[in-house]
Amino acid sequence: MKKKLLYILVLAALLLSACGQATAVPTESPVAATEPPATEPATEVPTEAAEPCLIIGALYGGPITDAGYNQAMHEAVMEIKANIECVKIIEAENVPDEAGATTTMENMISQGAKLIIATAFNHQYPALELSKKYPDVKFEHAGGWEMGPNFANFFGKPPDGWYLMGVAAGKMTKTNKLGFVAAFPLGWTLVFINAFTLGAQSVNPDVQTIVAYTYAWGDRAREADTTNALINQGVDVITMHVDSPATIISTAESRGVYSIGYQSLAAQQFAPEYWISGTGFTLGGKLTWIASTVIDGTWKPIFLRCGIAEGCMAIAPFGPRVPQEVQDLVMQVKADIEAGKIVVFAGPIVDQDGNIRVAEGEVLTDDKMSSVDWFVKGVVGSPK
Amino acid sequence: MSARTFLRIAVSNTLVKNIARYVMMMLLALLLFGIILLATGKDPFQSYRDMFGATFGSAYGFSEVLVAMIPMLITALAVALPSRVGLINVGGEGQLYIGAAFATWGALTFKDQPAWVLLPLMALLGMIGGALWAFIPGYLKSIGLVNETITTLLMNSIAPKIVGFLIFGFWHSPMDTVKTENFVSAARLPTFFNTRVHLGFVIALVLLALFWIIMKYTRWGLEMRAIGGNPQAARRNGIPLKGYLIVIMCLGGAIAGLAGMSHVSGFYGVLILNFSMGLGFMGFLICWLAGGDPIGIFLMSFVVAIITTGGNFLQLTQGLPYAVINILLALALFVVLASPKFFEGKKA
Amino acid sequence: MNLLSILGVFSSAIFSGTSLLYTTLGEVIGERSGIVNLGLEGVLLVSASSGFAVTVITGNPYIGVLVAVIIGGLMNMILGYLIIHRKANQLASGLALMFFGFGLSALIGKSYVGAKINALPRIALPGLENLPKLYSSLLSFDILIYTAIPVAFLVWWLLFRTRWGLGLRAVGENADTAYASGRDPRLIRYQALFLNGLLAGLGAAHLSIAYTMTWTEYMTAGRGFIAVALVIFSRWHPLRAIVGALLFSGAVAFQLLLQSSGVQVSPFLLDTIPYVLTVLVLIAWGGNRRHSAPASLGRVYHGTE
Repeated sequence: MKKKLLYILVLAALLLSACGQATAVPTESPVAATEPPATEPATEVPTEAAEPCLIIGALYGGPITDAGYNQAMHEAVMEIKANIECVKIIEAENVPDEAGATTTMENMISQGAKLIIATAFNHQYPALELSKKYPDVKFEHAGGWEMGPNFANFFGKPPDGWYLMGVAAGKMTKTNKLGFVAAFPLGWTLVFINAFTLGAQSVNPDVQTIVAYTYAWGDRAREADTTNALINQGVDVITMHVDSPATIISTAESRGVYSIGYQSLAAQQFAPEYWISGTGFTLGGKLTWIASTVIDGTWKPIFLRCGIAEGCMAIAPFGPRVPQEVQDLVMQVKADIEAGKIVVFAGPIVDQDGNIRVAEGEVLTDDKMSSVDWFVKGVVGSPK
Repeated sequence: MSARTFLRIAVSNTLVKNIARYVMMMLLALLLFGIILLATGKDPFQSYRDMFGATFGSAYGFSEVLVAMIPMLITALAVALPSRVGLINVGGEGQLYIGAAFATWGALTFKDQPAWVLLPLMALLGMIGGALWAFIPGYLKSIGLVNETITTLLMNSIAPKIVGFLIFGFWHSPMDTVKTENFVSAARLPTFFNTRVHLGFVIALVLLALFWIIMKYTRWGLEMRAIGGNPQAARRNGIPLKGYLIVIMCLGGAIAGLAGMSHVSGFYGVLILNFSMGLGFMGFLICWLAGGDPIGIFLMSFVVAIITTGGNFLQLTQGLPYAVINILLALALFVVLASPKFFEGKKA
Repeated sequence: MNLLSILGVFSSAIFSGTSLLYTTLGEVIGERSGIVNLGLEGVLLVSASSGFAVTVITGNPYIGVLVAVIIGGLMNMILGYLIIHRKANQLASGLALMFFGFGLSALIGKSYVGAKINALPRIALPGLENLPKLYSSLLSFDILIYTAIPVAFLVWWLLFRTRWGLGLRAVGENADTAYASGRDPRLIRYQALFLNGLLAGLGAAHLSIAYTMTWTEYMTAGRGFIAVALVIFSRWHPLRAIVGALLFSGAVAFQLLLQSSGVQVSPFLLDTIPYVLTVLVLIAWGGNRRHSAPASLGRVYHGTE
């Protein structure tokens, strides 16, 4: 028993001494800064003291270095900081679900955030709820559809980019089979697959897109298995809609199969040889503009969708094996889309079973896309 | 009374001693985690200030701690009850999933019903689901075929996949991503004081109190303790051993199923794929660390909830991944586990 | 269904089964000595992240593998201290180790998410180098795959053909008797746990450094628990573990083959099959002593002092 008491005492002493040490260490603490031997007092203090003109809370569904969606969003948010120096940014990554998002946003607001940028699909309703509780905080959600007096939306127009990728894939394939690794059968994912397939069919009517789901946003081993399974079905171009494209693109590269990236332009590094191209988000400019309107008080809720022409989406550089004429063709189609000569989801569009989904003369509008539950003709796989 | 005699009385009091021991153990865990924070170049003091400021500094922050406690309290009870007859229920995770799935079926099928019909119905369904899931290991154990530890563990891996099958097979629309449609408000457990604390908290406390009373004052409690102490002797004394094992295991499952119902109805308001990520396992840990004692379960859950809730702040202020808070959690668990005295007489 | 796709199922089964096999072999050793390690998931994660991080830093995958292996062993020493020295409950200690692994791996791996590495090189089976890349890439395996089955035999030999293995199994059956016959149950259990961790580290290294070539939080996606199930499925025998691991990963590959050929079967239901099979196997062998678990599995050894 005595021994135990001693043990506790030693621990307490240790703890106290550690506390004593620790208080002396941090350089940010004002006490340490006023002491003469403190390391960098002069440069640290003013920036700490200056009031930020706007505190922005940004939350992401996955890791911000995933070379995928979250990285693209993170880089866009960081561009605000680069353009408007006086803003302060608080970030939280890996906030995948509703409940965690609520807590995280509450915490950000308690830290003084006046603009919340919620980037994951699942953040929409928690953010909408909180926007009612905090009317003086502005909420921007990426890719949703709800609107409110202090709640708005921003996003790129990925289908245009996917159509272009389809054009490139349709030209590059020899087997006329394209592979698409998807995480889940979601409305937007199906839209991407459809746009990709339509683009490919526009230059190569015989082309098929084979879809396989991993049913997880980040099960890397299963992504590798799925990529291999598609390749073994004769697919010679692989693309994907999962969190991070790294594993899928690396696997395709190791099998000598072309790959196309999505979401972040950083994906190219994983496929030095068999990379075709990719489409990704470059929303930094628009986010900077949104932040500036919050600062000068002119912010209005806008349902913002912008495409390649407005600089919100970009096409990655082509890989070394893509012939010049394919590159030129893609650029030509890109110009046509920007000029409005090509509309991706213009009717007639027929689904897998031959039903007409978009009639002649009609166009599938942005607000309908998230509830798409069908594949265009030429896609192999189940939309459910 | 002199200070010395007071001190002697205080020290001889086991409760005070126990609390003092707990506090020391938590301080040790904080110290260890502080060293890790220092090693990664973070300021441990600022981190702890943030953490405790977030949980104790505001009413809302504190309410979030209570919210986090709810599933822990209930799943811990789902382990505590079977442990009294010597059953080791590691299957809380699976039972929770199946309970949540049954309750969700109720919420989606009878969405036109008023809350006073729908909520009890969902609770009942959740309990049935959990009980059914626990029946299999309970039955296999009672006939002496397979150890319940192994079966409950295996069935934990099956349950989330069944939930996935149900979501993607029947309950999912393209706009819902990886979940069902949102529950109607009648299928949501009511919340209190404009926070996220929901009725599940009251349910959890009532269950804990019931458990304590039954174990202490009723014949069942006495019989259960007899079985837990020496099953063969209990059987010779006329206690129906086989029936007890099955019923208790199912009750444990029903409680875990109720935790699932309370979580999807009170917390999320929707059934999400892989929503639990270890809640049932956490319940097992808490129950075991608390020695199955209701007050201990409450205190342990409180501590764990402070850590997990406060941890959310570390990522905002210190730029640490949210998962890092699991280190502090595990260190706290390690310290308690490493304390031999705490477990005297509790080992199988 | 063509030759390529059938070959592909085998190839995928081998690739993704390797990490399972190593982990399962480790757990066989651990459980044979009487210790269930529910913390495997955490051990795998920490090994995978640290191995990956070291590979990024040094540019050398072999050093990465080495570090992953050592870290795996060290992680298990925490468990050893808790359950052998402090006599804590095995299941609870294992779960605590799992949570520790969740956190520690996130901390270690944070700066390396999305990094690109030199993966373990793949070497084609002799004589197949000249096939088209599409085929040869299916049959090019890394060194950890080539050594997996020999390691299984090594574990079998250690457990069933050496004095040390005899002692280890004796401890797993009855630690007191083993002690009485002059063995040191604590030392043996520490050794078993260390080996358990080393092998889990190999499995994790294969996952992050050789197969998926990435690190991301929670990338093991339940493989630690699958290994615990596989140990039961293979009835605590290292050679049957080979079959178990291949069956399990083969089932996943087959499901993906069905999906990519346009056949829809719920992948969730298919994923439950290995576990359901294991439960059925347990029931079928239930009463038979010869097939059951080491007798003192999960028990605390109190020693004789």
